[in-house]
Amino acid sequence: MIGVDVGIVIIGLACLASAYRVLRGPTQADRAVAGDLLLFGFVGLIALFGIRAANEYTFDIVLVAALVGFLSALSLARALTRGKR
Amino acid sequence: MDLLSIVGNITIVTGALVFATAALGVLRFPDAYMRVSAVGTAGGVGIVLIVAGALALQPSIPNVVKVALVVIVHLASSAVGTMAIARATYITRTPLEHFEFDELADATPGSSTPVNSHRSGDRCERHDYD
Repeated sequence: MIGVDVGIVIIGLACLASAYRVLRGPTQADRAVAGDLLLFGFVGLIALFGIRAANEYTFDIVLVAALVGFLSALSLARALTRGKR
Repeated sequence: MDLLSIVGNITIVTGALVFATAALGVLRFPDAYMRVSAVGTAGGVGIVLIVAGALALQPSIPNVVKVALVVIVHLASSAVGTMAIARATYITRTPLEHFEFDELADATPGSSTPVNSHRSGDRCERHDYD
């Protein structure tokens, strides 16, 4: 299970980098893009922490997150254009 | 440690490294459009690799069905969401590094003026091919 620990550390660093871009991004589009990457990182972290805890409902949560994350990206795009299509 | 566990660990670390390349692009690229490119390419493949490696560590028949659903749904939807953000980035006229010409000015509704025309309007070349 050493690969799971290494993966948690690497994805945690990636989430920190994208959080830095959310905080410091010069334009609002940079913040939206970094927020999208932050969502993907959290889905990966859910999968890896569920495997590490040997939880049987891990893949159900990942399936729901993959279904809903699409809506979050679309709503970020709508919020970026202030509702203009 | 059997063979399936080793394959799962290697796949998980590979997916995490794909995420690390995406985060490096988000940190270091100079432009919002290049960051969209990094996230849209690596976000889809990274999740698929990590979930497939997690399946190799907890193999069972219901998990195979769920992981197949996750892979199909995520590969079909993540690129669409990222490209929606990219289109919103263009519509809000985000400044572009190394701006030469704007091929999308006639193709996108609602954006008649080129991106960043106030900063480098002299070098703006509009190519009309028809």
